[in-house]
Parts: sequence; structure tokens; C-alpha cells
Amino acid sequence: MNTPPPECCTRREVDHDLKMRNRTAFLVLVVVASSVCVLRAQAPAAESRSVWDGVYTEEQAKRGEPIYRKECALCHGDMLTGGESAPPLTGGAFLANWNGLTMGDLFDRIRKTMPQTNPGRLTRQQDADILAFMLSVNKFPSGKTELYRQSEMLREIRFESAKPAAKK
Amino acid sequence: MREKKKQQFHILLYLSFVVLLFWPATASAQSRPKNTEWPSYGADLAGTRYRPLDQINAANFGDLEIAWRIKTDNFGDRPEYKLEGTPLMVNGTLYATAGSRRAVIALGPATGELLWIHGEHEGKRGGAAPRQLSGRGLAYWSDGKEERILYVTPGFRLICLDAKTGVRIPSFGDKGEVDLKLNDDQDIFPDLITGEIGIQSAPVVAKDTVIIGAAFREGMTPRSMRNNKGYVRGFDVRTGKRLWIFHTIPKKGEFGYDTWEKGSAEYTGNTGVWTQITVDEQLGLVYLPVESPTSDFYGGHRPGNNLFGETLVCVDLKTGERKWHFQLVHHPLWDMDISSAPILADITVDGKPVKAVAQPTKQGFLYVFDRVTGKPIWPIPEKSVEVGSVPGEWYSHTQPIPTKPLAYSRNGVSIDDLIDFTPALRDRAKEIASHYHLGPVFTPPTVSKLEGPLGTLTMGTASGGTNWPGGSYDPELHNVYVYACNSCIEPVGLVPAPKEVSDMNYVAGTAGKEVVVLHGPGENAGADSPKPPKKRQGSGYIALNIDGLPMVKPPYGTITAINLDKGEFVWQIAHGETPDVVRNYEPLKDISIPRTGQETYNIGTLVTKTLVIAGEGNVTTTADHPRGAMLRAYDKMTGKEVGAVYMPAPQTGSPMTYMVNGKQYIVVAVSGGPYSGEYIAYTLPSTGE
Repeated sequence: MNTPPPECCTRREVDHDLKMRNRTAFLVLVVVASSVCVLRAQAPAAESRSVWDGVYTEEQAKRGEPIYRKECALCHGDMLTGGESAPPLTGGAFLANWNGLTMGDLFDRIRKTMPQTNPGRLTRQQDADILAFMLSVNKFPSGKTELYRQSEMLREIRFESAKPAAKK
Repeated sequence: MREKKKQQFHILLYLSFVVLLFWPATASAQSRPKNTEWPSYGADLAGTRYRPLDQINAANFGDLEIAWRIKTDNFGDRPEYKLEGTPLMVNGTLYATAGSRRAVIALGPATGELLWIHGEHEGKRGGAAPRQLSGRGLAYWSDGKEERILYVTPGFRLICLDAKTGVRIPSFGDKGEVDLKLNDDQDIFPDLITGEIGIQSAPVVAKDTVIIGAAFREGMTPRSMRNNKGYVRGFDVRTGKRLWIFHTIPKKGEFGYDTWEKGSAEYTGNTGVWTQITVDEQLGLVYLPVESPTSDFYGGHRPGNNLFGETLVCVDLKTGERKWHFQLVHHPLWDMDISSAPILADITVDGKPVKAVAQPTKQGFLYVFDRVTGKPIWPIPEKSVEVGSVPGEWYSHTQPIPTKPLAYSRNGVSIDDLIDFTPALRDRAKEIASHYHLGPVFTPPTVSKLEGPLGTLTMGTASGGTNWPGGSYDPELHNVYVYACNSCIEPVGLVPAPKEVSDMNYVAGTAGKEVVVLHGPGENAGADSPKPPKKRQGSGYIALNIDGLPMVKPPYGTITAINLDKGEFVWQIAHGETPDVVRNYEPLKDISIPRTGQETYNIGTLVTKTLVIAGEGNVTTTADHPRGAMLRAYDKMTGKEVGAVYMPAPQTGSPMTYMVNGKQYIVVAVSGGPYSGEYIAYTLPSTGE
């Protein structure tokens, strides 16, 4: 499980690959649901990834840092510790508020409301880069593929505050 | 620049006959049982957040059900995720600010039915406002016949509405509004649209005077040592006419001007009152909790003690003239804004009745004064404090430190404070701390150096202790109940400010990190804007937590009951479920850890006849409840938890309570993370009869 797409993949190929996988999963679901309607939702167990699985690259986090510093730091703080009117983006309260949700939830929240003076002004790519930077500051491991910029794909990545026992 | 003509939109949803039902034959203000209403932000002008109601009590708190709820998403052009309001309930109607528009809504208090809504479209002026979103609330005024609602828009205009209809009162100011950027004894620069000044707190009305403070952007990395000033003004609630002004930074010739050396009072700004103001109507006195001057962590451009920065000031309600003041922090360097409402308390000290005022603070001291004279109830001696070495800084060598009550939350960081669940965790915390300068309260900031220290590790400065929700006061037991963050760590380092960034010598920052300031909306932000400069070699980010665990010992957040007759703690508890990250942390699975409370700094309390009620500030998922937060009730005598009820998101606005049609309700604002703002009203289940 959790095999990242091979490094040679281009972004488009990755997207396509995942779309196909999602489509397949969807078809399976429809079949299952129509035959056994009481079955619990088929969790995408085989594809399930969390923020502990290296879902961004170091390079991406580096790209996100100057954007963070320019667009976010004034309110959320130099060290992401928050300010009088902005919540921290690291530490207990931050982790607690997103634990159990997905990167898609976090990404959409940024898209919808930030930067506060002009929400949605940044591109999806810029927001994804900022998010990668936030993950790196929060010491989630980097990996070989960049963090997606599509909400629906980000929804497949679980945000878990506690480090899983198996991945020390 | 001439301000673009504002569009005022107004939607009346109320049905007039329904409204008539709500105002039965001019129920005079005097005849209503006021203890069952919540007529101002803090329940009363004394800032107590107290109502002597007991239908909801220890025996039934856990039975509470949702009576009604209202999402605030549509009260603005986008949802908001930081709903901080506390509604009012007066004369059968509930009023609140809501949504990213900071709309005013009137609701039926038993049903949540929307009676009317009022919003102001402010265009660029709203978009450029330093304090946006829905704010903390509004004010109600009545002379027994007419009823008015007053609030301040994000763009800093005071609006006066007819409480029955939500329509502007045309005889107030200019067709129902007063432009607060005008008539302020200063020219707001650069212009009326973008000029930085605003406010998010609720206005206060006392004896026909509306009192308004001022707020600014975060003051850590200002573009300039020069900024607009946060004066406080009183206005006539009938006409909107300015009655008085208090200069929080004295003008030349006024008392305190000489505490700003080298003429720094002329250009230094901020120093506003951004939080709630408290009034003693009988004494005719107003209590102003003043914030920090420009800038939060570097004061080299404002040598001197800097009155009335971080000072509790008492002024006359009729004239705004200063009666007394007490500066809590000389030459502020820690962002210890006085951040919450002063609390008025009639207490008995050594057998003598005293009219007191108690001030909770970020630094965890509850400062208690005789509110007539300003004399401390217990000595607050000047104590020597560390003098720093930041070039150009001016230091006060002493600070006033209360002898009683003792600090109710951590206000410094020492090795003793570090996490000690296991030796390994402690070692990791020590390693993190080794990059910083540590010390007790009033340990000054350092210049940030790559080789260390990166800064001073502080607590009880920008974010710890008690912030804007403040405390509660129980006039029966003479206890203050106050929430504090006991683990909100703030690293404070200073870096030289590049000329193109700021005209200050130093601004908050970390060695190796590029210093940036916020640009105006859209400025330098488009696709073809110059790319940000390459970042210098950085020190890497040091997370001030260990795998998400706070680097200090629990309790992470507390509620403390402090008896004001004695100046002593009655009880102190950890408030809030142990965070998931701690409960589920593999290395701790064999260690039993008592409830830790939570790391959050914006929890307000409510006190009733028998209970202290407060929600959690963090989300948890436990065996007892799905992902969510709990609204908890404690026995006010002992602090023992007596019940809890589920909320879908953390408490972000302080709870309030009232009675209507024989039923008690508790309303609380929740939001945060992915959950957009919502007011939720709880009440007891119907009896089935």
C-alpha cells in the first residue's frame, strides 16, 4: 500500500492514473451498493494515505515558504504560532482542529477564506505549496510526490495528528 | 480620496404582526425581570458574565438539547470560521453580529426565527479593514420607549438601528451612521478608505453615552514606527454627537506626554482599546483596558514608560477626563495588551466593603484595585526585572508585580516547566528550549541569532493567559472565574528590519528568515508581480512541540476560581479533554495521564446561580463522543465537573444565557477548522406534559 507513483510520472499522468483508479473504485461501489445496500461505505482502504506517508516534497515546501511569509505570516506569525486574531498553524490546537479530517478539508478552507483581505486570490498551486510548507513546519515527513492541488484528490489524504506506531 | 458612495442594503424579513407580539403594549424596561435577560456583551456593564438562573443545573446539564441553531454562512459573501460573538437577549428578542459581512441579526429567542437582518456594504473600505469578520457583538439601548441597536462595521462606522425593525435611525449622526475615522483629533492616514483603524469588540452604552475604542493590525512587524492612534470616544446615543475623547497617547501639554521621550508621542500609534470596556453607571466611571503601543516587541523608537500603553485607565463617563490610572507594564515589550474587560466587584476585604475592579491579563496576574481611587487592594510593588541588550531599546528596570492573588497561569518558561511524561520527551523539550533564552515573566526579547538564542521563549505574552474573552464574576460568592492558556508558548525574537520593509530598527522575526510585511489587498500579488527574493540560508523551523505534544507540562488550559475578598484561589481545574495527540501517543500508552486541558487561548466562561459553564477550544474524538467539542459545566463552589453536552465544533464565542417563556437557554458560538460559524441554543427537553 501507499506506493507513490513512480518518479518518472508527470503530473498529468499521475492525475490521470488517480482518476482512473477513482473511477474504478466508483464503479465497484455502485455495483456493491446496488446489490447490498446496507453495506458500509467501501473505505478506499487500499489507497488510504495520511500526512505521515510523505505527501509533499521538500522542494515544494521550499517554494511555499516565501509565499507563506508574504501572504500569511503577518497574522499567523513568523513561526506559525498564530496571533491575536489568527489561529496557530502548528502545535496542539492546530493539530486537534484538523485531526481526523482530510487535506482536502484544510485546502478548501484556505481556498475559501484566505488570504483574508482577498480570499481565493492565490492559485491552487500556490495554496498547495503553502500547505506543503505548513506540513514541513509541522514535521510531517516529505516524500517523492508533490502535494496535489485538486481538492478531491486531497480528500484522499487523511490528516492525523498522532504519529502512527508503525512509522517511527 | 473621496469615499465611494456606500451601498446600504437592507432586508426586512420580519412580519409586523409578529413583531407586535414581541413588544406587548410597550413593556417598560423597568418592569421586566432583568436577571433573565442578557442586555450587554458581558451580561451587564460590570463585565460579570453572570446571571442568577438555575433551571439548568448540575442535575440536568447533561440532558441539554439543541433548541435551535443558525449558521452564519450567508451573512456575508463567504462563510466565516471564527465566529466570536456573544448575542444579547433583551425584551423578547435576541440580537447578534454574524457572518463575514458583520451583519446584525434579530432572532426569536425561543425558536431562532430570523426577524430581521441588517448589513452594510463597505466596498474597499471594508476589505482594507484591520479587524474583519463578524466581531464580538453589539450594544442595546432603550429609554423605556425607543429601542436601539448599535454596532461598529469592519470599516469603522458606528451604525444605529431601530431594534424593532433593523432600519437605521435617521436622526442619529448622518442618516444613522457616524464615520469613526473622522472627528478623532487626528487625521487618519493615508486616507479614509485604507487608513488603518477599526474595531471588533462590542460597543458599550452607559447612561446615554456610547463608548468606542479602536484596534489595528497585528503589531509584531509594522511597516513603520508611525501609525494611527487608538483614542477612545464617547458619543451621544440619541444624536451620535461626539461628547468626549480620551487620548490614550497624550498630546503635548497633557499628563503623561513626558513618558514618551524624544517626542515619540507625536508619531507612535496603536495604544487603542480593542477589547471590552467596563462602566460603573452609579459612580459614573469608565474603565479602559489599553493595549500596546507600536510595535509589540520593539520599543526603541518610543523611549520612556509610554503612558497609557498597557495601562488600566479610569475616566469620567460624562467628560472622558482621567480619574486615575495604573500602568500594568512599563515600556511595553511583550504584547501584554490589556486584552479583556475589567470586572467590577463589590467585595469585603478585612471586614470593609470595597468597590473593586479586577483585571485578568495575558500574563496571568489578576490585578485588583479600589475602583474609586485606583489604589491596589493588595500591594503591587515594583520589582527588578531583566534588562535586555537589543540595540537601541529602552528598558524599564522594574515592573509592578502583584503580591496577591498569585499568578493563575504560567507567565514565563523555565526548564522546570518542560514536559516530563518520559525522560526522552523531556530531553527533546530541553533540546528545543536550548535554542532560546528562557526566564520568568518580563524576560525581554532578544535579537534572533542563528547560533542562538533564536529569541526569548515566552508565555503569557501574545497568546497565553487570558485573552479577549476575559473572566466572569459571581457577586454571590465574590469569586472571579477565569480561563487561561497555560501552554501557549510564544517565541519572541527580533531581527533588523530591511529599509524596504519597515522604518523600524527591529521587527519581530527569526534569524535566517526573510522579513515581510503585509501588502495591501492585491498589491504585488498578481501573476506578473516581481517574484519574492531568494531566501537566505535559514535555521530551519524549530517546532515548539514534540510530535504535536505541547513542550510544557499539563495542565495546558485551566479555569481558576479566585476569591476577591481574600485574593486567594478557591479551585483550579484543567479545562478540556486531553487532546487526541496526547491520548493516542504511542510512547504514552502505558502511562496514565489525568485530564490535561487544552492549548487554546480564547475561551470565555459563564457563571449562573450554581454553575460555571465553558466550552472546549479544541476538537477531540473519544470513546464517549464523535469528533467534536464539549460544552462543560462545573459546580461553581468546587470546580467539580457536573455535566457536559456535545458541540460539533469548538467554542469560539463566549456563552450567554437567558429565560424566555419559562425556559432557560444557553447560546454559544462555535466554529473553527472546517466548521463555519454557527450559534447554537441549548435548552432542557420538554417534560412531555
